[in-house]
Amino acid sequence: MVIVWAILLVGISVFLILQPIISGQEAPLWSAGEEPSEAQFKKRVSLLQLRDAEYEFAMGKLGEEDYQILRKEISGEALKAIRAEEAEVAGGAPGAYAESNAEIEEEIAQVRLQLSGGVFCSECGHPNPGGSRFCAECGTPLQVPQPSGQS
Amino acid sequence: MTALGEFALWIALPISFWGMVMGFVGGKQGRGDLILSGERSVYLVFALLAIASLAITNAFLTDQFQYQYVAGYSNRNLDTYFKLSGLWAGQRGSLVFWAVLLAFFASVTVFQNRNKNREFMPYVVGVLQGILAFFLVVLLFAGVNPFEQLGFMPADGQGLNPQLQNYWMTIHPPVLYLGFTAYAIPFAFAMAALMNGRTDSRWIVVTRRWTLVSWFFLTNGIIFGMRWAYEELGWGGYWFWDPVENASLLPWLTATAFLHSIMIQENRGMLKVWNMSLVLLTFLLTIFATFLTRSGLIESVHSFAQNTSIAFIFLAFMGSIFVASVVLIVYRLPGLRSENQIHSFLSREAAFLFNNLVLLGAAFAVLWGTIFPLVSEAFTGQAISVGPPFFNRVNIPIGLILLALTGIGPVIAWRRATRRNLKRNFAIPLAMGAVVVGIFLALGARNGYALTTFGLSAFVLTVIATEFWKGTKARARIEGEGFGPALVHLVGRNRRRWGGYIVHVGTVLIFTAFAGRAFEVEVRKVMNPGETVTVASPFGHTYTLAYEGISSSVEENFDRWVALLSVQRNDQAVGSLTTERRFYRVNRQMVTEVGIRSTALEDLYVILADVEDFEGMVGNDPDAQRIVVQVMVNPLVGWIWYGGVILTIGSLIALWPSAEARRRSAALEPAMAGGS
Amino acid sequence: MKNGRFFVGLVGVALVVTYLVWTGISDTMVYYLTPTELMAKVEEDPSFRSVGVKVSGRVVPGTYEQGEGELVHLFQVQDIEHPEVTFSVIYQDVLPDTFTDETEVVLEGRFGEDDVFQAKTLLTKCGSRYEATPEDLAEKEIAE
Repeated sequence: MVIVWAILLVGISVFLILQPIISGQEAPLWSAGEEPSEAQFKKRVSLLQLRDAEYEFAMGKLGEEDYQILRKEISGEALKAIRAEEAEVAGGAPGAYAESNAEIEEEIAQVRLQLSGGVFCSECGHPNPGGSRFCAECGTPLQVPQPSGQS
Repeated sequence: MTALGEFALWIALPISFWGMVMGFVGGKQGRGDLILSGERSVYLVFALLAIASLAITNAFLTDQFQYQYVAGYSNRNLDTYFKLSGLWAGQRGSLVFWAVLLAFFASVTVFQNRNKNREFMPYVVGVLQGILAFFLVVLLFAGVNPFEQLGFMPADGQGLNPQLQNYWMTIHPPVLYLGFTAYAIPFAFAMAALMNGRTDSRWIVVTRRWTLVSWFFLTNGIIFGMRWAYEELGWGGYWFWDPVENASLLPWLTATAFLHSIMIQENRGMLKVWNMSLVLLTFLLTIFATFLTRSGLIESVHSFAQNTSIAFIFLAFMGSIFVASVVLIVYRLPGLRSENQIHSFLSREAAFLFNNLVLLGAAFAVLWGTIFPLVSEAFTGQAISVGPPFFNRVNIPIGLILLALTGIGPVIAWRRATRRNLKRNFAIPLAMGAVVVGIFLALGARNGYALTTFGLSAFVLTVIATEFWKGTKARARIEGEGFGPALVHLVGRNRRRWGGYIVHVGTVLIFTAFAGRAFEVEVRKVMNPGETVTVASPFGHTYTLAYEGISSSVEENFDRWVALLSVQRNDQAVGSLTTERRFYRVNRQMVTEVGIRSTALEDLYVILADVEDFEGMVGNDPDAQRIVVQVMVNPLVGWIWYGGVILTIGSLIALWPSAEARRRSAALEPAMAGGS
Repeated sequence: MKNGRFFVGLVGVALVVTYLVWTGISDTMVYYLTPTELMAKVEEDPSFRSVGVKVSGRVVPGTYEQGEGELVHLFQVQDIEHPEVTFSVIYQDVLPDTFTDETEVVLEGRFGEDDVFQAKTLLTKCGSRYEATPEDLAEKEIAE
């Protein structure tokens, strides 16, 4: 009885591993979805570092001076990566990866706006410059945030 | 049926070799058909090893004592769930267990990456199948075949060592093995990266989750082992620097280092050669851990095996992997050049690097202390012994440095930290640390190491609490959210960082628990029924235990004597404890079961050290009830287990895929957790 | 390599660790002897009686007795290879669960002036092994 099972096992195994070679069925050599190129990857890393720097400044972990120095450095790197990326993808449609990069950029913009004293309107989302009491777009009164403990 | 299991091993052997060849050749020559064949072989080897594992377990469940392995670790009356854990009770079965877990993880990896990371997969398959082939060769040719038969059918088996007859037997080994075997995946991807030339951070990003999973299981496995030792060995301790314990600690140390150093490579493009070496070292240490536990090479109260020819085979395997990997690293050295450098000793990069060096220093010390007796005897002929005094002496200072680093890392700035930055972020935490040290000094504590631990723990916890507080406040302001939602979103946007912080909180609790040992109290007393013993806890209160009496009974596998003691805390009755001695008849071995009463601050730990007159007690002779008890107060022990739970929660948070990643995963893209 | 600082840190830590390990081992290591070696060493150098050592051997069957006082144990230990070499041991503490009249033991302590070994710690080798040999099982079969 065991012999029967054993022969079955051998048979199935041999069949499964030889079948691709005989029939020419192939495993994919290249990945199906969009995988980040090195430039995209570097850009993402720079963006995340920028985001973290913005947050750390907002949190009060990073002083004003240190923040400015760091921001300049990282922005420089991000710019290099962006240029490299543009050189790679000449006009290709943005994939999901590039989309998420864009999301991070938006997040950074939002943090920057907050830090400069500006605020997004809670009604219509319009970005208003610092010091505004009413939304320039729809007129709703704005919540003015308190500055962080940075001084 | 069991014979089919052995057959399965024999079939798996050529298939694993086939898969290894197909993987490497298919990858090199870009032949998708060969690669597909190789990937199928991974699933097949898993199925076959699963059959073998089930066969062994079935043999235990059906008392097939004609198999030497089953007879050696089981008997008819053995509890079913110990029969279920027969697979990992001894050397032979453990090797099969290791292999099946590795094959399982390999299958998961192949399945997950059917359409991703294709430039890596052929080589990953090759490496993993190569490792599996090695284990199969050992199983079938090194005299450790679990299916070896005795040639006759014993009436009953030898039974399982009573000290293993504890529910932890079903938990600790599997969890630890999951940790060991999962580490092969990052290693395989690292080798694949060297082979295909993609030596940037891609392989790290892809295996990040595996690295964390492996670390998670390793850490919990070690903690479970500590709990088991604490409950079962009856000495009130939980770590003895036993060679087998050390063997599991070594890969944990290097895996922790690796977990941190990969962040530097991702963020700053540095330490590429370092990371390659570290993943290789950790993998070799996981193999070393198996080999040490199972080859009986180092004398250990834990020692499981007698078969030492296996030692040479393992050494040869480790040696070949080491040589092959070093050759590959050297070959790819140009691609492994750092993109940046460390600008300042005061920077997060430097802190992480320092953390790595210290962890590796600890690993070196533990390794050296463990093998030094062997080395010394080989060279001088004189046998020596290196024990806990050495390990504690070296590792306590190292542990304190690590504790300090967990508080420094999160707040020190990347690239370079200015004096302003340091003052701003460390002033309050340092003050808190000093305050805590002051409090404990005022309370009378004088142990230097313990005081330092308490101070540093306060320092680190303040740092982490501040991070959470400031981060949530900032987010609440920026997004216009309430505190609660802000916290949830904050963590969700960067699970790795915040999950990591929670893991650190757990680790801090565990280190603090270690410091509690400096204040242990122990009392020994001979007692007759009605007498009491008093123990003062370092926290100020007093326990009074009254010996009520002792009873004896006969159970299926053992005879037992149970002593009952009622407990009073500061003259208030708070319950009772039992502690017992058991005589396992089949194994002819006596085991003590301790009584533990745990509170958040301390454990009251009672050991029935001796029963004067066993026979008299069986006859319930009232004059024969004199016992000797050992009563201990173990301060802060519970914090190890609480710390473990918190650390688990933190790891799960860090592991959980973010919504963003799930979206991209759905679009057939590699998952990438949050940023730094 | 550009990472000069990296190497400085590496060498620094390596030196400190090496120093810790070196002094750690020399200060804490103990000789691990057989009874025969212990006797030889003590004869050669009487001051060795004040040095802590680790000794492995086997309890001589029938020599165990309880001493006066709480948890005082007295027994003889013999060399496994040369059973004629024995010495007396006194140990005051809880006996390990696996201690029997003929277990292999590992003692740590001092060999006193009175030729009695004062054991500070006592470990038993867990019933010599965890796994049964075919011989053990064959005996079982015959006995049943």
